[in-house]
Amino acid sequence: MEVGFIGLGLMGRPMALNLIKAGHRVHVWSRRRESMQALLDAGAGDCASAAEVARHAAVTISMVADAPDVEQVTRGLNGVADGAGTGHIHIDMSTIAPAAAQSIAARLAERGIVALDAPVSGGEPGAIAATLTIMVGGDADACARVQPLFEAMGKSITRIGDAGAGQVAKACNQIITGVGVASVAEALNFATRSGVDGAKVREALLGGFAYSRILENHGQRMLQRNFKPGFKAWMHQKDVRIVMDEAHRLGLALPTAAATMQLFNAMVGCGLGEDDSVAMLKLFERMSGGAGE
Amino acid sequence: MNGAREKHMKIGFIGLGVMGEPMVRHLRVAGHDLAVWARRPESAAALVAEGVPLCATPSELAARSAVVITIVTASADVEGLAFGPEGLAAGFAPGSIHVDMSTIAPATARSLAARYAERGIGWVDAPVSGGGQGARDATLAIMAGAEDETLARVRPLFEVLGKRIVHIGPPGAGQVAKACNQMIMVSTIQACAEAVSLANAHGVDVAAVRQALMGGSAGSRVLEVMGAKMVERDFAAGVEARLHHKDFAILMDESARLGAPLPVAAQVWQQLNALLGAGWGREDTASLLRVLER
Repeated sequence: MEVGFIGLGLMGRPMALNLIKAGHRVHVWSRRRESMQALLDAGAGDCASAAEVARHAAVTISMVADAPDVEQVTRGLNGVADGAGTGHIHIDMSTIAPAAAQSIAARLAERGIVALDAPVSGGEPGAIAATLTIMVGGDADACARVQPLFEAMGKSITRIGDAGAGQVAKACNQIITGVGVASVAEALNFATRSGVDGAKVREALLGGFAYSRILENHGQRMLQRNFKPGFKAWMHQKDVRIVMDEAHRLGLALPTAAATMQLFNAMVGCGLGEDDSVAMLKLFERMSGGAGE
Repeated sequence: MNGAREKHMKIGFIGLGVMGEPMVRHLRVAGHDLAVWARRPESAAALVAEGVPLCATPSELAARSAVVITIVTASADVEGLAFGPEGLAAGFAPGSIHVDMSTIAPATARSLAARYAERGIGWVDAPVSGGGQGARDATLAIMAGAEDETLARVRPLFEVLGKRIVHIGPPGAGQVAKACNQMIMVSTIQACAEAVSLANAHGVDVAAVRQALMGGSAGSRVLEVMGAKMVERDFAAGVEARLHHKDFAILMDESARLGAPLPVAAQVWQQLNALLGAGWGREDTASLLRVLER
């Protein structure tokens, strides 16, 4: 398929490369030109704007930071909508608020474009290995048509429901992973400060009901004190903040997520925002009178 | 400008709710020349019957006033009144002052102040604490964010409306103080609700508990006022809970932006969400007690 890709950061770059590997013809544009180089070297088409990307491909994908960026690259000046033909499909794989995804889909529909929200879970390793979990919201037929693209980037692909439903699933994912990172960090800090070997605790727990991917992967990185991102704490803060805004709007109590959000606030406030989320461990060490280096 | 010349000022007023209406009356009794604008003209009916002129647009109100006071609900409302179509900014002469007594985001207050400054118009954010009772009794606590000289010109008006007037700092600072006020007050309402709930669970007389506590270290204005409402199970607003809920969104948003953890406020926020979800948004925040009883 001819496919356009906009936003070639930590996640977008390996995802676009995997589309090329699967035999698709990929056209790229990125705000920062230097981030396009790896794709151009791999044979991607070089475009001067999101609109030009859309002129070359009937399906475009965006992978950017936040809702205003999605607005900009789809409906802004020289955005996808300026170059798209009728029946164009735009897939936004960024993590944004469900309400924002719904509003973007409605606005793009007015211009004859079918929008899908398809946020992912699995991080940079999942993007590189093409094993991402993809949660899709939007039109079922459009979703079926772009299935080969999803299969080139991910392993578990689920259509959750209508526009915005993918982002709801992603919000649920961020509640569980955010709270999970905090609880694993708390447990490992507790073990260590109790004079017990955290690595042994983790190993034992992996066999029981406390088993989780977070305990396995994030727990391992905490024990190795490898705080390199990965997934930066400030991005996790942003995602949990989306969840809390929705909860406010809906009149829902999310007490555990609310507590976790404050921990991310504290990480950002004490300069750990650029570290991986697993640096939550450092925060707890500092809160417990340790150095947290 | 000298004080004598401004003794009787031409004042515009927008926001004629439980707070605004008594404030207008106090200013008139003090000898000021008041006019109003209202989105729903019927909300001005009582004041119009008392002889207060009703303007057709905010800009018309601004054109006849040296100072316009607004006390409305949300950041977007204040922005719309100031710079929307036929807004205050279009009518203000240079040297006029917009005094906003609503509770809005500090960032919105700062941005409005900057936009007005470009046109030579003054700004004061002056949120209040004390509720409808404080407005009627002219005993409001007023927290001001403004430049010194701007505040000096409107301070006599504040002295008519309130008892404790504190200049917190530059534009936006008043709203920061108000955010702190809301955080302490609503967290205390939650603490009182939990205490009442605990006393009830033990089958102990909560009125007696409240009375005893009022004399000790746990005594507070909230325990006095909201505590009494909880004891009497009187959940009619006072201050509608949905307004506190709105304030918490502002507060938590700012804390995320600043990287400041507010763990207790975050939990209280969730209780407020549950209160709204239960459909009690237009009742008193003392309804936090009922959230615990569900």
